[in-house]
Amino acid sequence: MKHEPEENSPAASHGPAQSVTDPASLLAAIVGSAEDAIISKDLNGLVTSWNEAANRIFGYTEREMVGQSILRLIPRELHSEEAEILRKIRAGEKIESYETTRIRKNGEAIAVSLTISPLRDPSGRIVGASKIARDISERRRGDDARTRLAAIVDSSDDAILSKNLQGIITSWNQAATRIFGYTAEEMVGQSILRLIPEELQYEEERILSAIRAGERIDHFETVRIRKDGERIEVSVTISPLKDGRGRVIGASKIARDISGRKQVERLLVQSEKLAATGRMAASIAHEINNPLESLMNLVYLARRSSSANDKAYGYLLTAEKEIERVSHIARQTLGYYRESRAAVDLHLSSLLEDVLSVYQSKLSAGGVAVDCRFEDSHISGANRGELVQVFSNIIANAIDAMPSGGTLHVHTYEVRSHEAGGIETLIRDEGMGIAQEHLKRIFEPFFTTKGDLGTGIGLWVAKQLVEKHGGQITITSSTERPKSGTSVSIFLPHVAFASGGGPDGDGEVKIQTGEARDAGK
Amino acid sequence: MLGSELLNIRLVDEFISQAAEAQACRAKSNRSEKERLKVLIVDDQRMIADTLAEILDQAGFRAIAAYDAWTALEVAAKERPEYLITDVLMPAMNGVDLAIAVTKMSRTTKILLFSGQTGIAKILHKAREEGYDFDLVAKPIHPEKVIERLKRL
Repeated sequence: MKHEPEENSPAASHGPAQSVTDPASLLAAIVGSAEDAIISKDLNGLVTSWNEAANRIFGYTEREMVGQSILRLIPRELHSEEAEILRKIRAGEKIESYETTRIRKNGEAIAVSLTISPLRDPSGRIVGASKIARDISERRRGDDARTRLAAIVDSSDDAILSKNLQGIITSWNQAATRIFGYTAEEMVGQSILRLIPEELQYEEERILSAIRAGERIDHFETVRIRKDGERIEVSVTISPLKDGRGRVIGASKIARDISGRKQVERLLVQSEKLAATGRMAASIAHEINNPLESLMNLVYLARRSSSANDKAYGYLLTAEKEIERVSHIARQTLGYYRESRAAVDLHLSSLLEDVLSVYQSKLSAGGVAVDCRFEDSHISGANRGELVQVFSNIIANAIDAMPSGGTLHVHTYEVRSHEAGGIETLIRDEGMGIAQEHLKRIFEPFFTTKGDLGTGIGLWVAKQLVEKHGGQITITSSTERPKSGTSVSIFLPHVAFASGGGPDGDGEVKIQTGEARDAGK
Repeated sequence: MLGSELLNIRLVDEFISQAAEAQACRAKSNRSEKERLKVLIVDDQRMIADTLAEILDQAGFRAIAAYDAWTALEVAAKERPEYLITDVLMPAMNGVDLAIAVTKMSRTTKILLFSGQTGIAKILHKAREEGYDFDLVAKPIHPEKVIERLKRL
């Protein structure tokens, strides 16, 4: 340690003060060297004394102020304050740490904290007041800045929180509450690990060691857990917090909920996949449809040239039927895409029959019986491919819901209660049903109750397409045995508006309508 | 229960009755080659054109197969067929242009387009704008349905 005898010597540092011996001089010296303005005034508010600090704070010299009214320092709009102060002083009251505004000689307003006490003569009579004024404009500015910062932090859309080097949360803003579901009271003092999924807890150790090394982590995308247990995707930026001496004492963390963005990204990937599937279907269509046509003709010819009593005739007849079945499926599956823009008139019953025939083998393999009741007229302006898609998705779900068999009910009937009238299609399974808490999320994209088997896109797509036709889709479900099951009801207006039957659509329609007519015969 | 099963049953019935009908038709046509209706079948997939031609022949038509639109146009000019069945997407000249050319040449020729392809909507739309509206079936289609469609034209 450095030895500095001169400075440490009381004689050196307090030399001048020691020469002051009488109490009056001592007091005068103290007043003169005070940091705060010390002023006295009489009961009329005229200044009677004025120290050096008063000079510094207000800009007036002692000579300028002694004998002058104190009102000179008070902004005009606050002049009424003085009367109140004087009234209190006369009553012998003391005013402590009263924060107000005063005016400097140069006209500048300054924030001051005033402590005013009555001054008494030896007989105890109040003759005036002593006033200690502290310049608090610096502090005010600091307070203002802090308040502003706090307001910014609180109004932020991003969660802003701080933690110490042990990972204990030290602050928590409103957005953090909104994003994570915990209040500040619940989280301050708790470990940040509470927000981190178990399998990702190793992240925190890495984050903390980076922070200890003074490093910053930018836009780190990860997963966190809300209070309700739901996982959310977040992007976090973590910076070290340093004390006045530059030591890292903790970290500030800004977390943004990017679940929405991520969902859009996945949707884009998904729709790109669908588009790729469509392109693939188009190219496969050619490669499959032509050989199938040849095969069908050849088998037909072979059968025609064999005798009806021959065994071969029976085999070929079966082969023909099988090829017909494959052809039907090829037209169905490879057909969705080619009629993507057509608006046509159609009968839902024939469309539903087509869809059901695609699922024929799945239905019989799963021991699912079908109960169809069709009482519908035609609808116009519909996009056949899209509606096939809608009903395929729903019927596939219904079949999946009945792994141990049951009956699939498919009913259509006319509805007149709606404005323009339309057709209601009810597809009901006798499966295990969907839990109520899942039901409200059932139309969300990527929400699935089928685990790895589901894409979570089927019902979402169905809803989009039904709504595009000006229709409505609703779902009800019960998990209570023995009446468990799920009902999907789809209303489509008689005049749908899935138009957009531009150049690409019209011609294609004929393929499908022609085929549908044939298939229904 | 399902459409496809019913369809299968109906198909068997149809096959039997149509086979008998075709037999009768062939017997009749043997008597008079000139009475048979001419049908020109065009497909760049030779197997399809040939098999369909044979099937239609057996069904009582006089079928001629061609594998490209230009050849088909020459045949059409010479033979003046009652029917034209053509694939749509073919090299050099597509089936719709062929159909338009044949229509201009012979108003009475009935035309059926058949295609196993996507992406032909623009061609059809263009034809429709020019006032040509052709019937169309999708490949693969059962040959008896082709016959049925021809008879309905």
